Amino acid sequence: MFDHIERFYRPTTLREALELLRKVGSRGRIVAGATDIVMQADRSIRFLVDATHLGLNYVRRQGKGWAIGSTTTMAALEHSTVIRALAGGILAKAASTCGSIQNRNMATVGGNLANASPAADTAAVLLALDAQVMVASSRRKRKIALAEFYLGPHRTVLDGALLEEVVIPALPGGGRMGWSFQKLGRTKTDISLVNVAAGLQADASGRIKWARLALGAVGPTPLRARNAETLLQGNTLHEDLLTRVREAVMQEVNPISDGRASAEYRREMSGVLARRALRECAAQAGCKL
Amino acid sequence: MKSMQLRLKVNGESQEWTIAPGDLLLDVLRRESYFGVKRGCETGECGACTVLVNGKPINSCLMFAAQAEGCDVLTIEGIAQGEKLDPLQEAFLEYGAVQCGYCTPGMILSAKALLAERPDPTEAEVREALAGNFCRCTGYLKPVEAVMAAARVYRTQAATPQTGRTSQKSKRKSQKSKPREGL
Repeated sequence: MFDHIERFYRPTTLREALELLRKVGSRGRIVAGATDIVMQADRSIRFLVDATHLGLNYVRRQGKGWAIGSTTTMAALEHSTVIRALAGGILAKAASTCGSIQNRNMATVGGNLANASPAADTAAVLLALDAQVMVASSRRKRKIALAEFYLGPHRTVLDGALLEEVVIPALPGGGRMGWSFQKLGRTKTDISLVNVAAGLQADASGRIKWARLALGAVGPTPLRARNAETLLQGNTLHEDLLTRVREAVMQEVNPISDGRASAEYRREMSGVLARRALRECAAQAGCKL
Repeated sequence: MKSMQLRLKVNGESQEWTIAPGDLLLDVLRRESYFGVKRGCETGECGACTVLVNGKPINSCLMFAAQAEGCDVLTIEGIAQGEKLDPLQEAFLEYGAVQCGYCTPGMILSAKALLAERPDPTEAEVREALAGNFCRCTGYLKPVEAVMAAARVYRTQAATPQTGRTSQKSKRKSQKSKPREGL
C-alpha cells in the first residue's frame, strides 16, 4: 500500500530529525505511532521521518507544571503515576479511551494533537489545562498555546515543524478543585461523538474562581466554550446556572452531521455532557448544587 | 524505490530481511511465512494481526516494518515451547474458545501480554485486554473463560519449580522467546 515511500529515516537526535524534515519538505511526514498515517495512506508522502528515537518519550514535572514528550504513548500516559495524579487523572482517563490496547501502545500524544482530528480525546483535556506545545523546526523553536495550534480539521500551524513537547503550566492554587472528562462514543474506546473536559476551582463559600470547559468532535477543531466559562466565573453553581451553561455550550459548538451522529444530536449531547462534567467537578470541589 | 535492511528478533531468532521503506509489519511477517499473523480489517480495528513488540500488543497492520528495527517480536508461532503448547493455547482448546480460529492468534497474544503484567486478572481486566480482538463466531465468553483458566495454570507453574519436565530444546526456545520490556 505504501510502495510510493522512498526512504524511511530513523534519526536519533532532534537536530538530525529537524534537518531531515527541512530537506524532505512537503513530501516528508513525521511518523511516531503511525496509527493515523497508515490509515490516511496519503500517496503524496515520499519520505517518513520516525520521531520515536529522539528521546521524546517522557513525562516529568517542570517547575510547578508538567512536560510531556510528544512521542509518549497513550498507554504510557494512562499508566503514568504523574499523569494519573494530575488534574484528577483526566488526561490519563482520556488517553485510556483512545482506541484498543494495541492502538494505545502505538499512538502518541504528539500524534493525537498534530493529526488535528476534532475528536482527539487528549486535545479537549489539554485545552482545559491551558496546555502549550513546543514546536521545533530547523530554523526556530517556539511555544504555542494549544488553543492557537489548530486551524481546522487536520490542519495546524505546524507547517512541517515537529511537535516536540506538551507543556502544562501550573494549575491555579489556593482553592478546591474539581475535574471531569466525559466521552460519548459507540463504546468506551471508540472515536468520540462528543467529548468534554472540565475543570473548576471554588473558594470556601462555593463561589467559582476559575473554570475551564473544552469540547471535542463538535466543531472544526477541539474548542473552549468561553461563553460558558464566563457564565461560571465568579458565580455559585446552582441548577439555573447549569441550565444557562448548558444552553451557552449548545450555542458555542458547531458540529457537523456524519455517519456517526447528526449535528443536532451532537449539539444536544454537548449540553448534556457539559452539565454532567460540571456536576462531577462540583462534587469534587465541594460545591453544593 | 529503495530497499532497506531490517534487523529484528522474531520469536527469539535474529532475522535480517530486505524490506521496502513503506512496508507494513503485517505484510513483512506474512511474506516471511509467519502466517499466524492474520490479515483482517487492515484498519487497526479487529486485532487479528496482533503481535507483541517488546512484550506489548500492537496491530501489525498499522506499524511500519522499519519501526520494528532492533525489536523483539513475538507471534503465535513462538509461544509454544517446542511440542508443548502454551497454557493459553491449551485452555483455548479445552474451553472451546476456537471456532474458525482467525481471531485466535491475536487473542492469545493479547492475553499473553496481560498475564505477563497481571498474573491474577479479574474477568473485567481480561475482557478489557481482549477488547481490541474481534471474534465473529463464538463470541467472547469462552475466550474469557480460557484466559482465566490459563492464568490459574501460569500461577500454579510459577509456584511449582519444573525440574526435569522440560526438554533442553524447549527450555532454550522459551528463554529465547521471552519478550523484552518496554516498547
